[in-house]
Amino acid sequence: MDATPAYNDKVVRQFALATVIWGIVGMAVGVFIAAQLLWPALNFDVPWLTFSRLRPLHTNAVIFAFGGSALIGTSYYVVQRTCGTRLLSDKLTAFTFWGWQVVIVAAAITLPLGITQSKEYAELEWPIDILITLVWVSYAVVFFGTIMKRREKHIYVANWFYGAFIITIALLHVVNNLAIPVSLTKSYPVYSGAVDAMVQWWYGHNAVGFFLTAGFLGMMYYFVPKQAGRPIYSYRLSVVHFWALISVYMWAGPHHLHWTSLPEWVQSLGMVFSLILLAPSWGGMINGIMTLSGAWHKLRDDPIIRFLIVSLSFYGMSTFEGPMMSIKTVNALSHYTDWTIGHVHSGALGWVAFITIGSMYALIPKLWGREQMYSVKAIGAHFWVATIGVVLYIASMWIAGVMQGLMWRATNPDGTLTYSFVQSLQATYPYYAVRMFGGFLFLAGMLIMAWNVWMTIRPQERVATESAPEATA
Amino acid sequence: MDSGTLSGIITALSMAAFIGIVIWAYSKRRKKDFDQAAQLPLDAERRDAEKGRNGQ
Repeated sequence: MDATPAYNDKVVRQFALATVIWGIVGMAVGVFIAAQLLWPALNFDVPWLTFSRLRPLHTNAVIFAFGGSALIGTSYYVVQRTCGTRLLSDKLTAFTFWGWQVVIVAAAITLPLGITQSKEYAELEWPIDILITLVWVSYAVVFFGTIMKRREKHIYVANWFYGAFIITIALLHVVNNLAIPVSLTKSYPVYSGAVDAMVQWWYGHNAVGFFLTAGFLGMMYYFVPKQAGRPIYSYRLSVVHFWALISVYMWAGPHHLHWTSLPEWVQSLGMVFSLILLAPSWGGMINGIMTLSGAWHKLRDDPIIRFLIVSLSFYGMSTFEGPMMSIKTVNALSHYTDWTIGHVHSGALGWVAFITIGSMYALIPKLWGREQMYSVKAIGAHFWVATIGVVLYIASMWIAGVMQGLMWRATNPDGTLTYSFVQSLQATYPYYAVRMFGGFLFLAGMLIMAWNVWMTIRPQERVATESAPEATA
Repeated sequence: MDSGTLSGIITALSMAAFIGIVIWAYSKRRKKDFDQAAQLPLDAERRDAEKGRNGQ
């Protein structure tokens, strides 16, 4: 390469800040609704503040606002660096940022108002769905257009994962949201009955597989080698990992519908594919963690590496737990209990949020031309507060979930149920308190991050860097 | 052809595709390309560090 190309880092900076801000908003809503489960009076008898309306706000905010901003932002950063070229179009790129923010704000307004199509993780009504489609297609054009004009011969594996994420989310979003509008705020899906349920969970599980997994694996394949200062443990394994993961994930959706009116063979198919998924998932985890092989001391010295590697451990944990829960007999116990909530958060907090936080700490100083984050100690503090938070959260939900499952299935000798539903709820009460505290700790960690980010990027005298831009940085 | 035969054929084809990918990925011919590709993130960071921050 003869010259460093002028990258479009403005949009990456915007998405990085959006990630931190929406992360705090989404997690704060999560802590609030966790508190509502303890103290139901916290809805103040205001319809907009009920659990049923704020829960989708929480999930949409953390997945699409926090996770989405992190994914789009880092993919723009990574694709430019690994292709040695600037993003395709500044205008279209700016549209993807502002369009995405409008989607988020529209979600934050309509969901508390109760405007929803009642599909989990696809609650937003049709006008917003159309805007999402426009933004997403523009994003795809920018991303793949940049790859097409690359100056490097190879397409780095991170871009394959980001690319699979972009294409699949487009497909999932369009197919699952096909609906007939009857007014500006109401529509009905074109599917019905078991087909509707299957399409929804084909979408739902692949949102996990491609949004919350493939996309963040793209992040992992760039930021783990970058922060460790050594190439990925096995590039060959990453290629096998990619093809195995994307071809198997597509078929795992039916495990969300065990013991329902979905045909028996579809349930079994979903279970088998979920079990197979363990192999590519762990292949990826091992590849990431082993990148540190020979440099394990970095785990002690560098809190950013700690975030990245621990995220992979949580990824390994939740991708072991997931296949296990998809086994029909285990699912008979776990389904509809808080075990599922625990499982989701071990993935969402432990894997998705940790890899995002680690990548942001690596990225943000670079984007603002700083040597490192303002306080490396604060990164370490964030790590421990967040880790304790996740562990409290998932441990309490595991215990609560298994207990609920056992109580619900317990029968007396005469065949009647041993416990009423309310009794299981009462028994869960203390665990809801622990969960709320765990979530609060995780949110507190994000506030430490916000402070650290602000101290890093706030305007300061830049005499040194501006007078000698060649010598420093 | 009943559905059992069909799923048998699909399973065999998927298996063959997977083995094919593994053989391709681990073949000697791919080694040089993959080694180069694996360096891309590190090269990019080195470039960034050498030339200072560029572009807005």
